[in-house]
Amino acid sequence: MIQAGALGLNAVSVRFGGIAAVSEVTLAFAPGTINGLIGPNGAGKTTLLNAISGFAAVSSGRIDLDGAEITAMATAARARRGVVRGFQTVRLLEQESVFDNVLVGCERLPQPDLLVQLLNLPAQRRCRSRDLDAAAQIVAGLGLGPVAQRPVAELPFASRRLTEIARVLVVRPTVLLLDEPAAGLDTRDRHALTETLAAYHASDPFTMLVVEHDVDLVRRLCPHCVALEMGRVIAAGPPAAVLDDARVQRAYFGTGGHA
Amino acid sequence: MKPVPDISARAAAPPPSRPWLRTAGVAALLAIYAALPFLLGKYAIYTAAQVMIYAVATLGLDIVYGRAGQLSLAHASFFGLGAYVAALADPLALPLWAQPEAVLLLAIIAGGIVAVPTLRLSGLRLSLVTLLFGELFTWGINHSSSLTGGSEGITVNPLTIGGFDSQDALHAYLLAGALASGATLLAVQLGRSQYGRRMLAVRDSELASVSVGIPVVRTKIVAFIMSAVFAAVAGWVYAYVVGFVSPTTFDLFGSVNFMVAVILGGSGRVLGAWFGAAYIVLVPEAFTSLGYPNLFPILGGGVLIAVALLLPGGLVEGASLLLSAAAKRARA
Repeated sequence: MIQAGALGLNAVSVRFGGIAAVSEVTLAFAPGTINGLIGPNGAGKTTLLNAISGFAAVSSGRIDLDGAEITAMATAARARRGVVRGFQTVRLLEQESVFDNVLVGCERLPQPDLLVQLLNLPAQRRCRSRDLDAAAQIVAGLGLGPVAQRPVAELPFASRRLTEIARVLVVRPTVLLLDEPAAGLDTRDRHALTETLAAYHASDPFTMLVVEHDVDLVRRLCPHCVALEMGRVIAAGPPAAVLDDARVQRAYFGTGGHA
Repeated sequence: MKPVPDISARAAAPPPSRPWLRTAGVAALLAIYAALPFLLGKYAIYTAAQVMIYAVATLGLDIVYGRAGQLSLAHASFFGLGAYVAALADPLALPLWAQPEAVLLLAIIAGGIVAVPTLRLSGLRLSLVTLLFGELFTWGINHSSSLTGGSEGITVNPLTIGGFDSQDALHAYLLAGALASGATLLAVQLGRSQYGRRMLAVRDSELASVSVGIPVVRTKIVAFIMSAVFAAVAGWVYAYVVGFVSPTTFDLFGSVNFMVAVILGGSGRVLGAWFGAAYIVLVPEAFTSLGYPNLFPILGGGVLIAVALLLPGGLVEGASLLLSAAAKRARA
């Protein structure tokens, strides 16, 4: 049962001064689909995620979420509607524990008013135990249980990356944007991450857009794939077809043939 | 398909905070609180009341600075705002029942006004603007001397209800104790609430905050207003207990003093605010009784530098390091 998470981009451009980082991108992502976003460095992948999540202002075009325009909506407001992104370099509360970092993501669950929270009235106690359960489930699901109470600053990169993904998942996104989630992870961690993401997606489908250089991960995780070059869409479709596309080959390797 | 096994989920939850330990700790504190009036003289009891009042104001600064990460140099003026409500209650014929409302209302307005620049500013620029508000407050007091006594200060008549007299040491001690325990409970609860989490997130990464939907500006404004309310209520009681207020208590030096209390005690920690408040009240008191009142600012600077370099977590961290070292020794 999938209702939310239809994302539509209509001729979206993002210009910085005279440079078009994203130009005239028109794409439609169906609810509950997993989409890979590939392309050489500087192709505009991160900028496109920024435009969708509201971190970069759209110069022209429009973005719709489930039929409602969100082009000019503030980032936090989009996140409250379920459009959530992770960062290429993880952003964490360094002194806080893994668990508390994940807890911070419980923003889409309804919360009582400030005074109810401060007076610890029954509604607050209910919400708090619900939040703790939600965070504990995801922390355990991502295998972070053993380090849950350690400050994230002490942890190796893989755990920090997973902590950020846990924080994003606890939000219960309708559109999840991940920017190179596997970067800096070894093969084993990559596999674990791919499987976890696929499992979460299967249990509670959301629309996912993953920027990733790891072609293998894209093949395994993403039934759909979009290739960007110089801010434009040059190919879209199943990953095998997109990766074999002559223009994609040229964009990556500078030749028309197979590398 | 459920990706999550339930058993390991429980392992990830925060460890159960041993309830007997907490109960024992609270009971011990209450016992000390009840015993002190029998053990100490009148002046010491009065000083203890001041520590508790300062703890409330310090808890307030800890909310906006320690938790939300916004450097505020207007804190002493929030404290003063409450103090002058008490001081001017008689001249303005403000009945007792209306004073708490006036204090709350003024604190909310003042906190909201000081928070407005957070819409555009952060870090040192923001703290400079808060400094401006602080200066405006003392300027306003100094330039309305017909009402406030200006820089000469003004005496505050005690708060009397039946047999209660706020300038009696024991009564002041009880009043301050009630206020401080309420403020401490609120601060602890804030740490367990969504707003408390939001403040930590805003302090550490605004990018991460907005990316999960935290309203950053609103969180900062709430933090400023809460800190102003804590400070103003503390100031209101302070004036009634001390019986005299003058603008020097509420100037930049006063604000810096609160900042010292937060940093020295351990920012972002409830117990730290208590340690810090005890430090800024008791240490100057000790130097004065030794006959060297001017030593405090000099030595205080040195202590602050030492703590900042050696114990970034403040006195609370120092105490917990000592405790764990002692526990290790006991086990060995």
